[in-house]
Amino acid sequence: MKHPENPLDKSLGFKILAALHNGSEEDYIQHSLRECKAEIKSQDMDKKATALLKLIYLEMFGYDMSWASFHVLEVMSSTKYLQKRSGYLAAVQSFRQDTEVLMLATNLLKKDLASSSIPNMSLPLLCLPSMITTSLAMSLLQDVLSRISHSHAAVRKKAVVCLYRLALVYPESLKLAWPKLKDRLMDDEEDGSVTTAVINVVCELGWRRPEDFLPLAPRFFELLVAGGNNWMAIKIIKLFATLTPLEPRLTRKLLRPLMNIIQSTTAMSLLYECINGIIQGGILDGDGGLEEQDEIASLCVGKLRGMLVTDSDPNLKYVALLAFNRIAVPYPVMVSDHRDVIMNCLEDADISIRLQALELVARIVTSDTLQPTVHHLLDQLRQVEHIEWGDSDTPTQSPNGSPSNPLPCSYRVEVINRILDICSYNYYSELLDFEWYVDVLIQLVKLLPSDGGDYRIGDIMYESENAPAAASASRIGSEIRNIAVRVKDVRMETTRAAETLILSDSGNDLFSTVSNPNHNVLGCLAWVVGEFSEHLLIPDQTLKLLIDFSYMPLSPRTISLCLQAIPKVLVRLISNNASGWNPLRKGETSLLLAQIIGVLDALASHPDLDVQERAIEFLEVMRLASDAVHSGSHGEDGVPPLLGYLLPSLFYGLELNPVSANAQHKVPLPGDLDLDQPLNSNIRQLFQEHDKTPFSIEVPRSLQDFYYIKDTPTLSKQQAEVPQFDAQSGSYQKITEGLFQESTTWTKRRVERKERNRDDPFYIGVDDDSSGVSTPFHQALNASNGTELDIDSIPIIDLKLDDVQSYHQSSQGSRENVKAAKTFPRKYNIIPDEMIGADDVGLERVKAPNRPKRQLLQVDSSGLKSFTLGEEAAHPGSSGASPKAGHETEMAIAMKEVERVRLEMQRASERIQPKGIPAEGTMVKKKRRVKKSAVGQQRDTTGLSNKDDASLAIDNTQQQTRSQKSKTKKKVKGSQTEQ
Amino acid sequence: MINAVLVFNNNGQPRMTKFYTQIDTQTKQSLIAQIYDLVAQRPPSACNFLPLPPLLARGASSTGPSDAPTQVTYRTYATLSFIMISTSTESPLALIDLIQVFVEALDRMFENVCELDLIFGYETMHAVLGEMIVGGVVIETNIDKIVAGVRSQEGTTGKKKAIQAASSGVGRGGLPGLGAWR
Repeated sequence: MKHPENPLDKSLGFKILAALHNGSEEDYIQHSLRECKAEIKSQDMDKKATALLKLIYLEMFGYDMSWASFHVLEVMSSTKYLQKRSGYLAAVQSFRQDTEVLMLATNLLKKDLASSSIPNMSLPLLCLPSMITTSLAMSLLQDVLSRISHSHAAVRKKAVVCLYRLALVYPESLKLAWPKLKDRLMDDEEDGSVTTAVINVVCELGWRRPEDFLPLAPRFFELLVAGGNNWMAIKIIKLFATLTPLEPRLTRKLLRPLMNIIQSTTAMSLLYECINGIIQGGILDGDGGLEEQDEIASLCVGKLRGMLVTDSDPNLKYVALLAFNRIAVPYPVMVSDHRDVIMNCLEDADISIRLQALELVARIVTSDTLQPTVHHLLDQLRQVEHIEWGDSDTPTQSPNGSPSNPLPCSYRVEVINRILDICSYNYYSELLDFEWYVDVLIQLVKLLPSDGGDYRIGDIMYESENAPAAASASRIGSEIRNIAVRVKDVRMETTRAAETLILSDSGNDLFSTVSNPNHNVLGCLAWVVGEFSEHLLIPDQTLKLLIDFSYMPLSPRTISLCLQAIPKVLVRLISNNASGWNPLRKGETSLLLAQIIGVLDALASHPDLDVQERAIEFLEVMRLASDAVHSGSHGEDGVPPLLGYLLPSLFYGLELNPVSANAQHKVPLPGDLDLDQPLNSNIRQLFQEHDKTPFSIEVPRSLQDFYYIKDTPTLSKQQAEVPQFDAQSGSYQKITEGLFQESTTWTKRRVERKERNRDDPFYIGVDDDSSGVSTPFHQALNASNGTELDIDSIPIIDLKLDDVQSYHQSSQGSRENVKAAKTFPRKYNIIPDEMIGADDVGLERVKAPNRPKRQLLQVDSSGLKSFTLGEEAAHPGSSGASPKAGHETEMAIAMKEVERVRLEMQRASERIQPKGIPAEGTMVKKKRRVKKSAVGQQRDTTGLSNKDDASLAIDNTQQQTRSQKSKTKKKVKGSQTEQ
Repeated sequence: MINAVLVFNNNGQPRMTKFYTQIDTQTKQSLIAQIYDLVAQRPPSACNFLPLPPLLARGASSTGPSDAPTQVTYRTYATLSFIMISTSTESPLALIDLIQVFVEALDRMFENVCELDLIFGYETMHAVLGEMIVGGVVIETNIDKIVAGVRSQEGTTGKKKAIQAASSGVGRGGLPGLGAWR
């Protein structure tokens, strides 16, 4: 007998391995790629196939082989089976939907599908699912369909699955395929493997269109009761879980067999899926028609509890928690009975189990258990702060031999997020003690994982690694802000807490948690401190720190929030001091102002526009304030009026209330507002006239001056420009009049209006002297409209609805934001979002992105959703002639098209001698990483190997019989011999 | 359905990658690296389920069936880790068994399989998987049938290949750094 050539001979396998261990892999691989490149062009098919195999191997390490697709096709068409197999393997691994030679492959695939040898025929069936396209599916459908009634079961089962993948890209094919699939399913004489394959496919199709498979329920039932293959039983149970919601009568029928399986099976996987099926199929929430319902529920939950308490198998713990998580959504009470064991799982050494337990704990929390639960989680966080996780639990758990395995940052972030979830659930409805919550929030800020990079994966730091930590940091920040705004009763405590946090930062540790540039806590804290500055304990210290923060390299958003807070605290500081205006205070104030002006000055050229704008605005105001202090003009109590009245009026009007994100949509448009109507019909002409005048040169300069020459008082600049302007065009006489008016009557009117608007929070009464915006353009526009723009004439919709307090009370009553029935130790008012009318969820939905981004690895089966098996499934004979004819013409057209493209490409490939491809191929990606020392320890395998069809039964109850022997040869090997 | 089957060794070097959806080479590599990082952190006593790696975690929802992969099941044998990425339509415990079936089938094909066998019997390994899973759907779970399917393709060559390769040139395990599985 001739030994077939060994494709992965010494020249590849050993050398690669040797190279990998000698550290010269890169050189070797490049060399070997060049070799392949040459060999693959050889006429010798053996050489070609070998080279191709090497390429497949290297592709696995990230070396692109798409350039070789034509050679893949050549090898695929080889007459020797093993070569053909290599070619098909290469196609599976490297072809993409956009691979051009795919068109050329159609005929080859057709030919191989019709081959007489079974292995040959299997190759395209195996290969097709990986590279199927709509056009390929159309042209190959008939060939695959004919394979479904092949005499050999091995072919039939592959064809069944292949058809499923065809249907995913070309849903129409299901219409033809389904009757045949159904025949396979209904045939009692059919090979068990084929039936299983059909069931697997139906299970995949099932959740998309469960209603189409309801008529087959009796057959599924039959197969389930007949038993035998555990894998199939699991799939049928999964299928029934999607069918029972549609047909409640099924539950009654299913109950007995499922109970039987639960009580009798030794396979944990089947047992688990039975319980799961009962949960997911909604059998538990039958409408009282089932007398055994309680019994079932307690049986299921009892079994799950059993899985949790047995220490033997972590897998069972994990899946039990998964199942509990599913039950917890409809029946939290049923699960919370088992809170004790679930809390134990929070201490498990295994992160996967902990995460599941964490999710579960968050679901079953009630107002009674909230505080203990949160304390427990906080303890856990504190623990890992000091003791590295794992040292106490299992000293040798680290697979790579490193001394300790720190609790991943992601887990800590998850714990923090869950704590916030638990507490803020449903507008804090489960939260009884807000003072306690504020305390928790402070602790959380301190427990935030630092991004110092103590958590590294291998040697690679993922960019996004700290994103979750930053996200949870800003969540904590917004919680503090939320509490401060919504819960008036603890507003003082919250503000002081924020103050404490800011003060604790104290500048000596530049990158402490609060002011960590990646965390957004500080921004929210600054806002709270500014907005509710009346509650501050030591405002002067806070102010100094806010100024310090603004110098730090923080995110622009944080800086702008700090900037906004500075004047607010300053104003409070000035008005707090009731002792009167004396020289000492004057000195203090001017010192503070100088500091503030210093920081604003520095930030006036900040690259972020938002920061820049705020800095410049406040800079002007602060300069005025500083002038006022020095000039010594006094109000009645001695404080300069600018500081005593004007500045406070900027910030302290009405109290801010939370406004629903949708409220803006509800503000009705004023009927007479016409946004399409031009403000001035000949505005274009006006601009053109401007362009003609030499004045236009003045415009850029004045803009530049505005940004770069800080100290030029705007007014004098205007005056300097005016005569020039006047001289250039007489027709603008009116403007100059307007400009001069400004200094006289206009000012008077402004002062009047400012008085009116002082208490109106919707009006920003900035002093008019800082009218940097009044560039000549602006004036020209103003003037051409004749009069100044009357802001007061624009209607303002008053968001305030009647009496704020009464509104809250009524809405609380209706929304049950606070459970009235419960007696609180202290009753807190939680202010809900303000909204005009009812909250319209529809608006939110419109705004939300319609479909989430398609995920990696995801197979898109959405095409099946709109497709119905309908009548064809019920009456296979009745499929009308017209759709079929239409289908055939469609096929013919498609075939023609395919043929045409194929010819075109063939010609093209004959013409072009591929030259542009680098000889050594393209390196796509190669990661370097520190090689971890291998686990010396062999994982023992669970004993589960009956060699019959039921080979999938895990019998985890027999864990004690697990092989603990260390084998003399450390080989990858199942433990069936020990069984 | 099963979205991907991966095999890599304790150093994170892939020994087999099979994706049942199309995915570009670079993403493949980073996904393998991410999963390896997760596996490498796990103590031997931990359960066989991994949290979703960052690449897959984006936008994953845990409720109800969907096309998105939600489960990553792994199992480690000696120096090799076997990983299956699947959607929620697969049973997690059954997947662990499926990996076991795969490994046992390999063991039958190679007679005491080890990492080197999988390097030299690269094609055979793919053939074994091809007898078990087609296009992400399981077609066979019976070891005898799987092995018979592969044997019908290549006769007894798979075994011979491995022996031939191993006995030629350097002896098995003669390479530095490979002692761990010896």
